[in-house]
Amino acid sequence: MTVNRDETLAQVADIIREVIGEAWVDETPIGMETSFSDDLELESIEFVALAERLQENYGDSVDFVGWLSQKSLDDIIALRVGELVEHILECAKG
Amino acid sequence: MHAVELGAGDPVVMLHGLVVGNLASWYFTAAPALAERHRVLLYDLRGHGRSERPRAGYDLETMTDDLEQVLAERGAAGGPVTLVGHSYGALVALRFAERHPERVERLALVEAPLLPGHADDLLGFLKLPEDSMIDALPADLRGALAQGGRRARRLLDGLLGLALETTLLADLAATRPPPDEALAGLTCPVMAVYGTASACLPGAHRVRALLPHARVEQLAGGHYLPLEKPAELSALLVDFTCAPPGATHG
Repeated sequence: MTVNRDETLAQVADIIREVIGEAWVDETPIGMETSFSDDLELESIEFVALAERLQENYGDSVDFVGWLSQKSLDDIIALRVGELVEHILECAKG
Repeated sequence: MHAVELGAGDPVVMLHGLVVGNLASWYFTAAPALAERHRVLLYDLRGHGRSERPRAGYDLETMTDDLEQVLAERGAAGGPVTLVGHSYGALVALRFAERHPERVERLALVEAPLLPGHADDLLGFLKLPEDSMIDALPADLRGALAQGGRRARRLLDGLLGLALETTLLADLAATRPPPDEALAGLTCPVMAVYGTASACLPGAHRVRALLPHARVEQLAGGHYLPLEKPAELSALLVDFTCAPPGATHG
């Protein structure tokens, strides 16, 4: 699977906007440094929805559950969008 | 009902507590450890998380019907399941075991409110002045409220929506603790876990008295053990769900 960082970031940003589902997020730039907690104020239940949508999108090639299960809730909430994008790129390399 | 599955193996269903709980209470705490050996099924109770918020149906009977429906939708209605419930979720699990003893492999009750008055504690909580209400919340939610912003707004919207737009408070006020025969009649392996600083702790005495074969554990913490003691609670749940059938513990 060939994946490109900018394309993956754009896909992840679209999924984040879909999960949040509020008007303000359409106007909010989402980049590699965007913080799920400070910038997007994602709730833990929205993180679950994000993981579900990412799994649907990327299928078994990306292991979100295994990746998330190694982190505490504090670690997860402190994540930046870029860390998620890098994880997807790593998995795509095989 | 919004449901999520993790892992593969014999099914384990995890039920969260009311008002401040949702399936993320388990998803980011004990569920991944259980999912290493089990098919873990998590769902948002009605009115919580990403499930719909109907006006009525927050009584134990309807919530137990919901559990039956989730099991049927997920193709887990045939064989036995292990149930893990926190707080009111534990009461739903217990009610299911009472209805269908043959369908419950094991039952883990975390901070089950087994004495009168504990459901009322939650009612009292929702009637507290805003400052005291915040003090009574789990630490991470207190933090979210203190920071203000989107998470605080959504948390308050959820609390007020449940309190003002549903029959939750009236349904809870009408909820009675499980009768002696419901507890004494359980035939599957049971584990009850309580926080040493929780108002629900006296429930442990009732479990010991009525279910001498049950395993009773205490963790240093309050009512929100899945969030307060995730590693310790996960270890207990993994040990309990993986113990050989028929094994009993003191």
